[in-house]
Amino acid sequence: MSYIVLENVDYTYPDRTEPAVRSLNLVLKKGEKIALTGLNGSGKSTLAKIMLGFLKPQRGRVLLDGCPLDRYTLPEIGARLGFVSQDPGQMIFNLKVSNEIAFGLKWQGKSREETDELTGRYLRRFDLWHLRDENPFNLSEGQKQMVVICAILALAPDFLILDEPTKNIDTSRKRDLLKALRYICNQGTGIIVVSHDREFVASWGGRNIQLTNGEVVAR
Amino acid sequence: MKIDVRTKMLIAAIFSLLALIYHQVPILASLLLLNILVLVLFRVPLKVGGGLKTLLMMYGTLTFLQSLFVKSGEPLLIVGNMYLLTTDGLYYGISVILRFAILLMSGLLLMRCPVNDLLVALAKMKLPYEIVFMVLLGIRFMPMMAGEIQTTLNHVQLRGVNLRKVYKKKVIRVYLSILLPLVYSIWQKAEKLTILLELRGFRRYETREYYREIAMGKADYLIMGLTICLTVSFVYISKMYW
Ligand SMILES: Nc1ncnc2c1ncn2[C@@H]1O[C@H](COP(=O)(O)OP(=O)(O)OP(=O)(O)O)[C@@H](O)[C@H]1O
Ligand SMILES: [Mg+2]
Repeated sequence: MSYIVLENVDYTYPDRTEPAVRSLNLVLKKGEKIALTGLNGSGKSTLAKIMLGFLKPQRGRVLLDGCPLDRYTLPEIGARLGFVSQDPGQMIFNLKVSNEIAFGLKWQGKSREETDELTGRYLRRFDLWHLRDENPFNLSEGQKQMVVICAILALAPDFLILDEPTKNIDTSRKRDLLKALRYICNQGTGIIVVSHDREFVASWGGRNIQLTNGEVVAR
Repeated sequence: MKIDVRTKMLIAAIFSLLALIYHQVPILASLLLLNILVLVLFRVPLKVGGGLKTLLMMYGTLTFLQSLFVKSGEPLLIVGNMYLLTTDGLYYGISVILRFAILLMSGLLLMRCPVNDLLVALAKMKLPYEIVFMVLLGIRFMPMMAGEIQTTLNHVQLRGVNLRKVYKKKVIRVYLSILLPLVYSIWQKAEKLTILLELRGFRRYETREYYREIAMGKADYLIMGLTICLTVSFVYISKMYW
C-alpha cells in the first residue's frame, strides 16, 4: 500500500534559479522504514517540507494516503505525518516539558485522563520523567530534541519524518532512540530518518534513498 | 546615468514631507502625478509586491469605513434617516488614500537601491554608526522574521491547532504559544550576533571605514538643485491657488 507518493516533483525557492529538488519520483509504503541521505544542501529538508505541505511544488504532484496533499489542512496532515525539524527550538510551544508532550494530544481532542496517561508513558519511555517540570527552553540541545521527538511520537502519527534526529545526541541516547524508533516501526508506523550520521543510518537499516543536487540517485 | 542614493533620498524625503503637510485633494493629486513621473524618469518599475497589495487593500477598506463616520458636509448617501456618506467624508477618504499612495511611491524610489548604498549614505550624513547598523539589522532581519513566523505557524498547526477554528477563550493561549518559539529564536540569534560582532571587533575603533564608495556626480547636483527649485515653486503655486 503506497502512503506518500511524489510524481515528477520540482521545487525552486522563490529567490533561486536552480531547483532545490527536481524530477522527483518516490513511492513510500505504509509502515516503511527509510533512511534519507545526501550531502549538505542536497535537498533533504526541502523534500521533507514538500511532503508536509509547507512548500508547494511548482511542478508535479504529491499524494498522501491516496489524496492530493493540497486537499488537506495542516492539522489534518499533522494527524497523519509527524515531523521533527532540524531545529527543535522552533517546535517548543510550552514552558513545561510535560505540557509540551500534552500540547498536541489536547489539540487532537483527547480527554484529560488519556492525555495525562499518554504523557506519563512517553516521558518514561524516553527517560524524560525527571525533567517533566523543567522549562524546555533551558534544556540542552540534545534534551530539547528528545522532548520534541517524544511530543511528536506521543501523537502516534502514521508516518514519522525526523530531520537529523541524532544531531545533538550522545551515543547512549542514540541507542535508546534507535530502540524506540525500531519499536514504533514494528508497531506499523512508517519512519523516514534524514541523516548524515553514517553509523546511525547503518544501524537503522531500512531502504536508503540518496539525494544529490535535488535528485534521487539511489533508492 | 547613475543617480546617487542621496539624491533619491532627498526627493523621497521632500515628497513624503509635502504629502504630510498638505491635505487638499488637488495638491495631493498633483504631487502623486509628479511622484509617478519621477519614478518613470528614474526607471523605477511601478510594481507592488503581494504583501504590499494586501496592506493597500486593508488600508483602502479602513479609510472607506472611516469616511463613513464623517458627519459634516452635504449628504451623498442616505439610508433611512442616517447620513452614510457626506461630501466631506468622501473628500477626507480620497485625501488619505492619496497621501498614502505618495508615501508608498517615495518608498518605492528607495526600495530599488542596494541596501549597502543606503547605509553608506546614512553614514556619510554623519549619523552614528550604531544607528546605521541598527537600520541595517532591521532591514536584514525582516525577511528572516517573516520566514520564521511562517515556520512556527506551520509547526503549531501540524500539532493539531486549527488556527481557523480556535475558540475565543483559547485565542490568547494559542498566540502566546506561537510567540514563545519566536521570541526564543530571535533572542538566540541576537545573542549569537552580539558575540560574533565582538569577536570581529565591532566598535573597537572610533570610526568605521566603508569599502563601498558612493559618489555624487554633476547630474546629482543638477537634479538636487532642480528638485529644490521645483519644490519651492510648487509650494508657492499651491499657496496662490488654494
Ligand atoms: N529558505 C530557503 N530559501 C532559498 N533557498 C533555500 C532555502 N532553504 C534551502 N535552500 C536551498 O535549497 C537547497 C537544498 O537545501 P536543503 O535545506 O533542502 O538541504 P539539506 O539536504 O537539508 O541540507 P542539510 O544536510 O545541510 O540539512 C540548498 O541549495 C539551499 O541553499
Ligand atoms: Mg536539512
